[in-house]
Amino acid sequence: MSADEVPLHSGGGAPALEVRRLTVSYETRPVLWDVDASFPTGALSAIVGPNGAGKSTLLRAALGLIPADAGQALVQGHPARAALDRVAFVPQRDAVDWDFPITVREVVEMGRYPVRGWLRRLTGEDRAIVDDALERVGMGPFARRQIGRLSGGQRQRVFIARALARQAPVMLLDEPFAGIDARTEATLLDLLRELRAEGRSIVVVHHDLGTVRASFDWALVLNVRAVACGPVSEVIVPQTLRRAYGTDAVEDGAEAEELRWVR
Amino acid sequence: MGPLIDALPFSYTVSVIALGAAVLGLTAGVLGTLAVLRQRTLVGDALAHATLPGVCVAFIATGAKDASTLLIGAGAFGLIGALLVVGLERSGRTRPDAAIGVMLSSFFALGIVLLTYIGSLNESGQAGLESYLFGQAAGLVERDVTIMAVLGLGALAVVAALFRPLKSTLFDIDHAAAGGLPVRALEVVMTALLVVAIVIGVRTVGAILMVAMLVVPAAAARQLTGRLAGVLVLAGLIGATVGVTGALLSAQSGLPTGPVIVLVGFLVVLACLLLAPGRGVLWRARKLARDRRRLLVEGVLIDLETALHGGPPPTQRELALASGRPRRALRRALRDLERTGALARDGERIYLSESGAASVHAVLERRDLWSAWLEHGWRLELPDAREPDPRDLRASLGDEHADRLRALAAEARS
Repeated sequence: MSADEVPLHSGGGAPALEVRRLTVSYETRPVLWDVDASFPTGALSAIVGPNGAGKSTLLRAALGLIPADAGQALVQGHPARAALDRVAFVPQRDAVDWDFPITVREVVEMGRYPVRGWLRRLTGEDRAIVDDALERVGMGPFARRQIGRLSGGQRQRVFIARALARQAPVMLLDEPFAGIDARTEATLLDLLRELRAEGRSIVVVHHDLGTVRASFDWALVLNVRAVACGPVSEVIVPQTLRRAYGTDAVEDGAEAEELRWVR
Repeated sequence: MGPLIDALPFSYTVSVIALGAAVLGLTAGVLGTLAVLRQRTLVGDALAHATLPGVCVAFIATGAKDASTLLIGAGAFGLIGALLVVGLERSGRTRPDAAIGVMLSSFFALGIVLLTYIGSLNESGQAGLESYLFGQAAGLVERDVTIMAVLGLGALAVVAALFRPLKSTLFDIDHAAAGGLPVRALEVVMTALLVVAIVIGVRTVGAILMVAMLVVPAAAARQLTGRLAGVLVLAGLIGATVGVTGALLSAQSGLPTGPVIVLVGFLVVLACLLLAPGRGVLWRARKLARDRRRLLVEGVLIDLETALHGGPPPTQRELALASGRPRRALRRALRDLERTGALARDGERIYLSESGAASVHAVLERRDLWSAWLEHGWRLELPDAREPDPRDLRASLGDEHADRLRALAAEARS
């Protein structure tokens, strides 16, 4: 089944992404412990937590990129490994070699390969979708550029364009805003809101509680275990943050957050 | 092979050698590129060394000296080496480079021990096997070349058929896996292809230097193009050219083939690194020098304008004192300005000609626009990811945005 045939809400009432009792360990140290969480359809959701909380691990384990000790992941109610065609994944930027001989356009075309079939040629329709994705992230003028000659913000735009080209109802992004300029962050956040308005479900691993509070609908507060999961207004509150970030850090952290929120 | 060999303008023996070297260069160039892009060139080196004991074991087991039997041994040991390297790495007990170092030297040591043992068995028995150390193009016969060509074309066909999956895995393995691609299997395929390339080349180039045939074409081709398909094709062509040139030189001079091929390859890489358009070292150095010179000249123009603004036309010495620039730099910049007719002189004293005044004006305007961009650029709300070029902001923003930027700056000043 190709992604364009997957209706955005085809999960019925099922959440866009759900993990049940997920446990993942590196060697013997658990980095995710018995995590239950769900992210609703049509919402912009965040996964927040301190460094080493297992935020990225949760996405990667849900997609089957790393093995889980226990638990399962569901995408729109289907086992995630069997529903990969419903998911567009945006990995961390520094995971790839940016000196790789490839152009911006070719990277975005990769978003079409799994839809069209890995061994098939792309069609005119695919090329139109790729053009459209490049335009939406504002990278149209850079289509022929070698990826090594892009700024950090432009690289992130390319990665998101590749996910757009996938045309999947669920989008998972791993730290898309780490180390990019403010203008790109604002543009991309607007784009994510547009996608939500189109009915897509978006889950973002993010570190800035200020933006989460301001722009997101739903959040999972994570620190190895799931501290809280729910609407932002109920979850991003001092009590849960204290439990996630640890007592001492919180008093300072909370104050710093307050400052950022009033800006 | 017959008609091809007849078509070449060489004697029969030389034609066979040239064809064999072309096949090996082409295959090693293309398949080596995959290893280079995975940053696995040292694995290639380890596998090449691992083929040596394979050749010896095959000889001891069968007593045959024909290339195809020995190459089966080479291939089998290459695969065993690959498995061991991956196993050691995955065990997490050693770093990958240490794992590779251990495997490479151990296999090679085993190879040398076996070679010596074979030599002691029978005076004439070893003859031929030691050519697997440094390579020997002269011994190639038509049947060897046919086998090499079949293996090589098969491997290249696999790369062509799996081009998109391979490209996706090479560039971003997580994204490829999240798209449902069996990335582990593809990595195994790439390692197996690497073994094929090594088996094809090891007799001609030798186990010690085989790694060069995997790396050299990729390194050279990467300088010339920024697209994977281009790199693969160019690496194949460069590999074939280097292989044929080196093999023919070696066959004529009686020097061992491997070293000659590698030296030819080194020259090619060196030329590409230095001269490649846009990416080469010399190319970049020239561009950097030009940009610096232009900045210097613009700076001196402004120094001069400032001095003229505050008093009588300065002498060169006064200008140097006022600007705090090294004498030599100032002299150079003034020479450049003089050449473009921007300067006028009144004895020792320097002032601006009419065209000089115009260029000062242009430089100052560019600087103002850049300051305005830094201060107010965010208010333009540019619709796409375009990046402002400090050297020519107007061109990189477009006239419309540049004018709006000036208006914003003027508004802020008033």
